[in-house]
Amino acid sequence: MARLTRKPLWRGAVGLLAGLYFLVPVAASVIFTVDVPGQGFTLDAYSGIVSADGFTDSLLLTLELAAATIVLVMVLLVPALVAVRLGAPRLRPVLEIICSLPLVVPSVALVSGYSSVLRWGPEHLSRTPLFQTFTAVQDKRFPFVLVLAYTVMALPLAYRALDSGLRAVDVRVLVEAARSCGASAPRAVLQVVLPNLRGALLNASFLTLALVLGEYTVGALLGYQPFAVWIVNTGGNQAQLSVAVSVLSLVVTWMLLLVFAALGRPRDRSRSLSRSRRAGRDAAAPAPIAQEVA
Amino acid sequence: MTAATASTKATTSAPDPADSSTATTVEFRALSKSFGATVALDGLDLTARPGELLALLGPSGCGKTTALRMLAGFERPDSGQVLVDGQDISGVPAHRRDAGMVFQSYSLFPHLTAADNVAFGLKMRRTGAAERRKRAHELLELVGLPQHADRFPHQLSGGQQQRVALARALALRPKVLLLDEPLSALDAKVRVTLREEIRRLQQELRITTVFVTHDQEEALSTADRVAVMRDGRLEQVAAPAELYDTPATAFVAEFVGTMNRLPGVMADGDVEVLGQRLPVRGAAPAQGPVDVLVRPEALEATADGEGRSRVLTAAFHGSVTRLTLSLPDGATVKADVPSHRAATLPAGATVTVTLPQRPVLVDGPTA
Amino acid sequence: MTLRTKAPAGMLAALPLVLFMLVAFGLPAVAMLTGAFSTSSDAPGGAQWTTANLTDSVQGAYLTGLVSSVKLSALSALLAAVLGLPLAQAVVTSRHRALREGVLAASGVLANFGGVPLAFAFIATLGNAGVLTEHLGLTGAGWSLYTFWGLVIVYLYFLLPLMVLAITPALEGLRKQWREAAQNNGATGFQYWRYVALPVLAPSLLGGYVLLFGSAFAAYATAAALGSGSVPLITVQIADALSGNVLVGQGNIALALSLDMVVVAGLVMAVYVPLQRRSARWLD
Repeated sequence: MARLTRKPLWRGAVGLLAGLYFLVPVAASVIFTVDVPGQGFTLDAYSGIVSADGFTDSLLLTLELAAATIVLVMVLLVPALVAVRLGAPRLRPVLEIICSLPLVVPSVALVSGYSSVLRWGPEHLSRTPLFQTFTAVQDKRFPFVLVLAYTVMALPLAYRALDSGLRAVDVRVLVEAARSCGASAPRAVLQVVLPNLRGALLNASFLTLALVLGEYTVGALLGYQPFAVWIVNTGGNQAQLSVAVSVLSLVVTWMLLLVFAALGRPRDRSRSLSRSRRAGRDAAAPAPIAQEVA
Repeated sequence: MTAATASTKATTSAPDPADSSTATTVEFRALSKSFGATVALDGLDLTARPGELLALLGPSGCGKTTALRMLAGFERPDSGQVLVDGQDISGVPAHRRDAGMVFQSYSLFPHLTAADNVAFGLKMRRTGAAERRKRAHELLELVGLPQHADRFPHQLSGGQQQRVALARALALRPKVLLLDEPLSALDAKVRVTLREEIRRLQQELRITTVFVTHDQEEALSTADRVAVMRDGRLEQVAAPAELYDTPATAFVAEFVGTMNRLPGVMADGDVEVLGQRLPVRGAAPAQGPVDVLVRPEALEATADGEGRSRVLTAAFHGSVTRLTLSLPDGATVKADVPSHRAATLPAGATVTVTLPQRPVLVDGPTA
Repeated sequence: MTLRTKAPAGMLAALPLVLFMLVAFGLPAVAMLTGAFSTSSDAPGGAQWTTANLTDSVQGAYLTGLVSSVKLSALSALLAAVLGLPLAQAVVTSRHRALREGVLAASGVLANFGGVPLAFAFIATLGNAGVLTEHLGLTGAGWSLYTFWGLVIVYLYFLLPLMVLAITPALEGLRKQWREAAQNNGATGFQYWRYVALPVLAPSLLGGYVLLFGSAFAAYATAAALGSGSVPLITVQIADALSGNVLVGQGNIALALSLDMVVVAGLVMAVYVPLQRRSARWLD
């Protein structure tokens, strides 16, 4: 191959430039937080994080929101996707369109819609029982309205992750095989289909988690203070602290990614699957007939 | 006398690849190549004669594809040479070699129509648009797809795609045609018609062709000569009938067609098998037990109430019926008998098995 | 189970999702739509049907915001697409599998986890008191992060990984046989890229570009956290309007601006989806 004859110099150059562009801001952020003008080297920015005003509250709030969003996304999506593959394949494009709709509405636009719906509450519904629901979803301690918005925003991502997972397994054959072995339909789905979707479920959960952890727009504009909003609000007077938290949150996201990857190894599995499929194609050579005798 | 002259005339006027003066010779000389620890080619010496269709046959990993890719310029030999008409082409880059290649599958450019795919090489050589269109049409006609010129690859069946690929490979009037398992991804039926068509075209154009395949039936039915390869080396190269009737080694014997192994014992240069004493062809140990290699159609099974062999199963294959026989010492062999005789040999029948009095190939410890 | 009983079961299982979308997506969407076409309830005379909001939303300062949002998105998406292609090709053709997997996983994080941490990383690097700004004396050279080009550099940080993710499947779908068949037909390396690889990749490249454009166009958190008021952006204007930074009675201008964004995002998807289909057909 021609590639073997010349060294891939361009690849090294591209890699180096990209590495610089992506690593310098991270390195600079670390330097920025530990090398404070007039103080020299200090870890105050990091040690001050935990005691900082509002840190624990906003972080806990975000984690709770993330957990609730993941649960809601899964509860809505998984049964719908599995059932449609099993019994109503013609509904599949419909689901795909439904789940892709949020892509057309940027989060700023979505939040403007939300805030005008929330204004209806006091304006039109104050004398109906629905009003209490309106108040409840806007509870400062756990604003469920954010879970609703985050779920809408996560649907396209989660749908794609789950759909590609489902594409790799033939749900129908799996369920029929399980049922012919005596399993009930729900049991077949729970014990045969879902374990085969582990990678896809984890992938979808991780994408949702990353979205909620980094989400600023909806939280800020509806007037709540989840983690990302807290970072910005703090940055106004304590730049070092905000940058330190940003660095930490990036590190934490990376570690979560590693954890999820280790749990699911979806990439590895699909890789080895496709490799064996490829090998299978190459080995499709009919065996020499002589083997019949041997 | 007159009849003899007439027949000589007939044979000389028929396309005879061997003495075609314009066709190309291809020579592999002591070719070696390793990929890491894997040896793909281990000193391959092989010549494709002018105008012939030479099949490279062997199990996967025997180096046949590597040899072909060296001819196309996609791999470099570690040592050895590839000669085209006596010229070493090792230094010529792939895009300047005169070798049209048909790949296993999916090699058509997906964004181009069949005609544009065929004309691609002409475009690279900056041939004018009108000329390109004309030539593409000619070639599509040649492969039987003139009405599909404006279709895209995904609108064509697998067999049609390979026809277009064949037309594309011929577009630049190459000296050599390279076929890299072009039929292996197709259905059985399409495979047979297409291989017949490839053969027809090849003979019409008298183009020297190297055809890599793992399918022995394909190789035997299509090629002028078949080169059987194993572990990067040439095992035997011969015309199909010769390869089948007088394989040089046990490997060739078993790779090409069906082969039985019968237990025998060497005695004074001959071999004793099934109570018969037969001369040996090729290498053999001087003493001791060996396997005698016999084709199913060479085994003679006759119904015999006192016979010591037994029919286990009989499978109808049209004109012949294949019997599975258990020999007196317990070995199992296959024997083909004409179907009209099979009625006398049902499963369970006792039979006598004999071999024709001809030299046989044996496989033994030091053979 | 027969098919007859399965079909309703399938619909039944999809029902919660449909209901959820009606409430959590449909309701706000309808509110936005009706709001965009009516005066706000605190306006004199109460809520009435009007197209004034929409007319206003594409005039004056709002038009400037829309135009500069489109310019910023178009330019940074173009840069990301042009720079992302060689980067993705380097990743795809790398022989080190761990590197490939690592870069792709990292791209996933960077592309989705932009926003606030990204903004602060750049404030620390190239902001007024940033590490590079101070050590290289960039302020003297006229550098400021809070300008159009500053935003472009920041946006590239999440657009480049997004491009790598968007184009990688297409690059992996380029078959070795195509390169070899091209060579076999006399094409040089340059000709292979010019006549085969780039045309085959074109739908994916274009699709990737509009995806990046949409992503940059919708971005708000980064700009908000940077506090770059000097570059007017439609997302920032919507946020300001929502936070009440508008005249009384003009509250619904935010909804009209949002509708403008939905129209642009809808156009993006209308271009992206068919391109994606074609690319999938070629490269599968």
